[in-house]
Amino acid sequence: MSDARIEGYARALFEIARAEGTLDEVEDELFRFARSFESSDALRNALTDETVPADRRQGIVESLLGDRATATTMQLVSMVIGSGRGRDLPEIIDSLVARASRSKDLEVAEVRCAVALSDDQKTRLAAALANATGQPVNLKVVVDPSVIGGVVATVGDTVIDGTVRTRLDQLKSRL
Amino acid sequence: MNIHGFVAAGGDIDPSESVHWLWPPAAELIYGGIASLIIFSLLWKFAGPTAKKGMADRTARIQADLDAADAAVTGARQEAEEIRRAAGDINAERSRLLAEADAQAADILSDGRARIDAEVAELEARAAADAASMGDRLGDELRAQIVSLSAEVTQRLLAETLDDAAQQQMIEGFIQKVGSSS
Repeated sequence: MSDARIEGYARALFEIARAEGTLDEVEDELFRFARSFESSDALRNALTDETVPADRRQGIVESLLGDRATATTMQLVSMVIGSGRGRDLPEIIDSLVARASRSKDLEVAEVRCAVALSDDQKTRLAAALANATGQPVNLKVVVDPSVIGGVVATVGDTVIDGTVRTRLDQLKSRL
Repeated sequence: MNIHGFVAAGGDIDPSESVHWLWPPAAELIYGGIASLIIFSLLWKFAGPTAKKGMADRTARIQADLDAADAAVTGARQEAEEIRRAAGDINAERSRLLAEADAQAADILSDGRARIDAEVAELEARAAADAASMGDRLGDELRAQIVSLSAEVTQRLLAETLDDAAQQQMIEGFIQKVGSSS
């Protein structure tokens, strides 16, 4: 899909969430759903299979997010999936998150770690990243077991990598 | 006894006997001689030229035959000489061709040996290079496999040994490191 169309969908989702007054929650839930969508082949295939009727795919979304996300989040994802734009869902959501962050003068900081962070750790990490990059950040945490241990943070074009995965890869290439 | 003796004896003489057993009477000799002379003269006069001409023709014919035979002998000798010369030329040409063929065969043999030697050397060098390359490649593959397996084992060991405390320690270390890198 073209960037303009992705931006169009992202703007629409952003405006709906803001109008509903649940922008922060929706943004966070959508971000986590996008990461799950990217990491799960089964979910991605189920939601992007054009041979499956749209109402069936929307039913899958409702069963997945029904009791785990706000109604707004579920309806927005269902709308994108029902319109046949499932393949572009991660990009649309990333664009939405970036737009939401800009509206709050924040920079999106995607953080990946093997275990979940506590609220205190999130706060301190957000402050540390703001200190390191010179601008406040909108922290988005993704639990990713493939990093094995440690944390990797991406803020714009800056990547701060402290994962065991990367150290193992470096050791492997050095060997 | 001849007729003259018989006539001279007047018929009394036995005609079966001669005055002399070898010599006739003189008159008979004279008549006979004169008659012989006349006959020989006539023969000389009338038959002589013809005989002489015949003899000359025969001599000329014989001479012509002799000349022809001599020419034939000369021609035969020349032809024999030419044949011998041609035979000699053929032998020389054959020898030259054989020598040339031998030289060409020797050149081809020499070139072939040189080419075969070069090809053998090239094949040996290539085989040695291939063997060395294969050895290097196998060594590299083995090293890569060892590294990959080591990394895999290390990753599994780390994943099993990294408990929550270690995870939290790394997270805290990351936060401190990022916070102090302003």
